[in-house]
Amino acid sequence: MTSPDGGTLLALDDIKVKLSGLQILDGVSIEVPQGKVTGLIGPNGAGKTTVFNVISGFVKSDSGSVVYRGRALKHIKAHKLTKMGISRTLQGVGLFSSLTALENVMLGGSSRVRSGIISQSFAMPWTDIETERLRVLSLAAMEEMGIADEAARLPGELPYPIQKKVALARALVSDPAILLLDEPAGGVGAADMADLERLIRSWVPARTVLLVEHHMELVMSVCDLIWVLDAGRVIASGTPDEVRNDPAVLAAYLGQEGAA
Amino acid sequence: MTNFIEYLLGGLGSGAIIALMALALVLTWRATRVVNFAQVGQAMFTTFIALSIQDLTGNWFLALAGAIVAGAALGVVVQYLVLRPVKRADTSGAIIATFGVLIALQAGAGMIWGGDQQAYPQPFNSAGISAFGREWPISVYDLVVIGVTLALVVGLSLVFTRTNLGLSMRATAFNPEVARLSGVRVSRTLTIGWAIAGIVGAVAGVLVAPISTLSPNSFDILLVFAFTAAVIGGLDSLVGAVALGVGTGLVISLVTGYSDSSNAPVVALVLLALNLLLKPDGVFGHTSSRSV
Repeated sequence: MTSPDGGTLLALDDIKVKLSGLQILDGVSIEVPQGKVTGLIGPNGAGKTTVFNVISGFVKSDSGSVVYRGRALKHIKAHKLTKMGISRTLQGVGLFSSLTALENVMLGGSSRVRSGIISQSFAMPWTDIETERLRVLSLAAMEEMGIADEAARLPGELPYPIQKKVALARALVSDPAILLLDEPAGGVGAADMADLERLIRSWVPARTVLLVEHHMELVMSVCDLIWVLDAGRVIASGTPDEVRNDPAVLAAYLGQEGAA
Repeated sequence: MTNFIEYLLGGLGSGAIIALMALALVLTWRATRVVNFAQVGQAMFTTFIALSIQDLTGNWFLALAGAIVAGAALGVVVQYLVLRPVKRADTSGAIIATFGVLIALQAGAGMIWGGDQQAYPQPFNSAGISAFGREWPISVYDLVVIGVTLALVVGLSLVFTRTNLGLSMRATAFNPEVARLSGVRVSRTLTIGWAIAGIVGAVAGVLVAPISTLSPNSFDILLVFAFTAAVIGGLDSLVGAVALGVGTGLVISLVTGYSDSSNAPVVALVLLALNLLLKPDGVFGHTSSRSV
């Protein structure tokens, strides 16, 4: 990793997206500085998740570009993201109910396994070495989350906050440069919130974090920089204090819930 | 009672072959949520290729190897050229497209190899084994068939549970989007699933040909039995496909033994109907795994 102030790691430049006649994103430009926690907030329907979908290639933008490490990304393929160092979690947990917690995490490291199709199809002994390596990496990621004991359980048997951590471990195991977290605090109780904040802060400056989140207390305390979206446009950006006191933000968003 | 045991023993070999074909159907279902009715057509086609190799070289194992390679290739071709474009439109269209592939393969095989029944050579002794002072209704060839089936089932289980490819295949079957985000090359994984199914089907074809005959339509009845076994087994379950495949073989053998072989398909379809009425998710299936 370069220095914490290594400039902009990821940027959206004038992204426009129209879906079934609705202008979801209307010229969105945001910058995500390397080694920082950046928040992306805004009322429901502001277009936050669409921003993530554009970055991960699920939604094609009509115009504008996604710039990563100084290069514009064309034809983003979702399965290549982890190899490029971009890892994303989904709203909810998005775990595979029929795979154990450990297998779910191992899946996140798919791009780190090198052995070929043929050797895997015939379950050659050396594929075991690669799979074993992935197992060790995955257990380490679970250890970091403090959930290594749950490795053999199915997601359905685990409490929701633990499931969230399994999803986070899956995102971490590919050793990403940037983590896109879609509402990591959703459904997490107050007791686990401090834990989550400590975790996210522990990733920077080695990794970069872009966070979509409704939980204002977490956003305000964990983020270095915040971008505010409303109806597909950026209406404000700055430090938590600047955003908190921005009249446009108060009007569009914080006013609804009372400034945190 | 002696008859009963004899009939059961006699059904093991054909049960193993039905199990293999049911396994192939389950593999494509798990990969792409499509029942591939062309599976027996693909197996018939690759068995004709194997017969050509057999005629050229006289080597049964070389012919089997040829069928395996052709089976994988044909699986990839069908998935790539037919399923991918059609499935983009809708799933039921894809299932109907597999019927189209079946008809095309049967017509193609008829044009290349002719429509007549052809004999496929017996590589091993097909006479009943003599032991304990009597002849048993199970041959060395039956044992080979059962052995090959067991080896394939164990091998596939290892791939599914022990390798990253298996993990990717299981994940892709349930949620392609999340799998993709995790770095799984989803479309490649699906194609591999079809290739593996093609291989399993091809092996089933070469194994069944010596005990039936080979013609463009001779495996049609196998589709009825294998489909019955796969559906009753729950469609998602490899274990279910194998258990019900062998079970179907035993039932057929009993029906054939106590009445007449022409009644076997009817019994299979009655079992299928009963299963769909009483336990539509299959014996080894469970609802949650299909609703994703």
